[in-house]
Amino acid sequence: MLGFARGHRAPAPAELGRLRRELRGLGAALLLFAPDTVLSLGADDELELAPDDGGLDRLAFEQLVPAAARRELRRAALTLLIVDADGNVTWHGQARRCDDPMSTLLVGLSAASRELCEQPLSKRGITRRELLGSLAAALALALGEGCRPDQPAREATPKPPPEAKGPNTSRVRLTINGQRHELELEPRVSLLDTLRERLGLTGTKKGCDHGQCGACTVLIDGRRVNACLTLAVMVRGEVTTIEGLAGGDALHPMQQAFVEEDALQCGYCTPGQIMSAVGLLREKRADDAATIREYMSGNICRCGAYPNIVSAIVKARRAGA
Amino acid sequence: MRDFEYVRADSLQQALDGARAENARFIAGGTLLVDLLRLDVERPARLVDINGLDWKDVEDDGAGLRIGALVDNTKLADHPRVRERYRVLAQALQSGASPQIRNMASVGGNLLQRTRCSYFRDVGVSACNKRNPGSGCAAREGFSRMHAVLGVSEHCIAAHPSDMAVALVALDATLEVEGPNGSRRLPLRELYTLPGDRPEIETVLAASELISHVRVPEAPPRSAYVKVRDRASYAFALVSAAVALDIEGGRVRSARVALGGVGTKPWHAPEVEAALVGQAPERAAFEAAAERALEGAVATPHNAFKLKLARRALVAAFERALEAA
Repeated sequence: MLGFARGHRAPAPAELGRLRRELRGLGAALLLFAPDTVLSLGADDELELAPDDGGLDRLAFEQLVPAAARRELRRAALTLLIVDADGNVTWHGQARRCDDPMSTLLVGLSAASRELCEQPLSKRGITRRELLGSLAAALALALGEGCRPDQPAREATPKPPPEAKGPNTSRVRLTINGQRHELELEPRVSLLDTLRERLGLTGTKKGCDHGQCGACTVLIDGRRVNACLTLAVMVRGEVTTIEGLAGGDALHPMQQAFVEEDALQCGYCTPGQIMSAVGLLREKRADDAATIREYMSGNICRCGAYPNIVSAIVKARRAGA
Repeated sequence: MRDFEYVRADSLQQALDGARAENARFIAGGTLLVDLLRLDVERPARLVDINGLDWKDVEDDGAGLRIGALVDNTKLADHPRVRERYRVLAQALQSGASPQIRNMASVGGNLLQRTRCSYFRDVGVSACNKRNPGSGCAAREGFSRMHAVLGVSEHCIAAHPSDMAVALVALDATLEVEGPNGSRRLPLRELYTLPGDRPEIETVLAASELISHVRVPEAPPRSAYVKVRDRASYAFALVSAAVALDIEGGRVRSARVALGGVGTKPWHAPEVEAALVGQAPERAAFEAAAERALEGAVATPHNAFKLKLARRALVAAFERALEAA
């Protein structure tokens, strides 16, 4: 979610908690531009405040708000926009001025929550990671202009350059977690990079990128594979990632077992461990701890959480996962 | 990773046509090729994806197995007939790679996998005659603990990494090969070439040829694969031994023996086989026969341990084969 405010003040701790709750409900991260400050906050991220002395406020507004709406929107004390991963504005709303800028923001977010709560999460907004990524270009431009004070201000901000596509790019159809995607991909792009960099499915982790650690394990037609060694263009089956395991808020039994057995420390290998364990149970060979250890050997855990990982798999198998 | 052209073949003809292009490579499971693309060791202009071909069945016609080259390693290891009658093959498959990689890797690709020599894989710095002919061999003066002691030359000491191929060499498998000039049969033991002064050449196959099937003659019921490695699972062999024994009337009628981890190719050991024939299948005979293995080996200070270790692995494999009956 993008916000444009007429003024800004840093939130008090209680206000920060409320901001986080609203953002969690919205399923979006917030990037708020006040004329002199940029505030970035996700439901589970640290608050970041940066001085805006490079005109980011104006640049972002010009780049992301449709021209026809700009004049009208600018009059409000606070403008909120929902931007999807492709940079399209899918919703916008405004709030009236309250006693102070922070109250205005809280009231505005709360109203947005009420209005948007009927929409599916995927429609509501983009993650903080995507938000920051899409604004990197605007930032670079602002810095560039700052270094060239003699240059006349540009009429319009150019869009970030399109992703490089070689002559061998083709249209690739993928089914991931039941959802169909059509992408323009070079043949050298791995399934792992497609998931993470193109589809925002960052639950699948990149560890070694050479098939040695298992952090990128996903299922294709129910069988576990290394997404880093899979070229996306070659995928014909249905892909299941860690994001596709849970049914709504109900965790998959394997996820639940990992939580209950404390089967992780840093958590980086965990999505791969869980996908591999789900694949293992489908193979019907998780008979005892020794077999589980052997058949989980493609997933490395540098924290050494192995005993609890084995316990979790035993537990999930008993639960009939 | 460098860009390349990608074409998908749904028939043998399309695959052969696709491979006519300059610097084309076939791809099946991709577990090794994609890795080497990323390392910049392999630089094909075109990949021909052969997964659309129908070489995906394991058949047993009574005289042995006929395995499609696109059968994945998991499927072959789990095949009831393989588990029952070709234990050495099932064990070799199961000891290789990880479950994820075995789900992806094809039988044909496994046979044609390239060495894990760390200097071969290190494009940035290392001299490697296999990767860059004429550049030298960094392994000979470098860390050579994992390297070969049999079949080596002054130009290359890289070990062949496959487990499955060791079992199939022991069992005297034959390949069905398709190419622009039709089909041919090739004994697996004749597939691999020694490095000599041309380590960049690894097999007698032409670039336009494809392994379509692997035929495995009926194997003696007593067989085993023993693999010794640095960790309990998911590691390449320091040494390995594939054996199958045909025992009749308390004597070894015939033996099939191959070694892994020690050779520049999966290493057939006919001198060990010959030494066992007519012997009572006992530890003394196994140890005497194992002494015949590794004759002519050339070790480095780092990998000289493999000589003794390989003989011991052989004896252990014979004893496990006896238990298997």
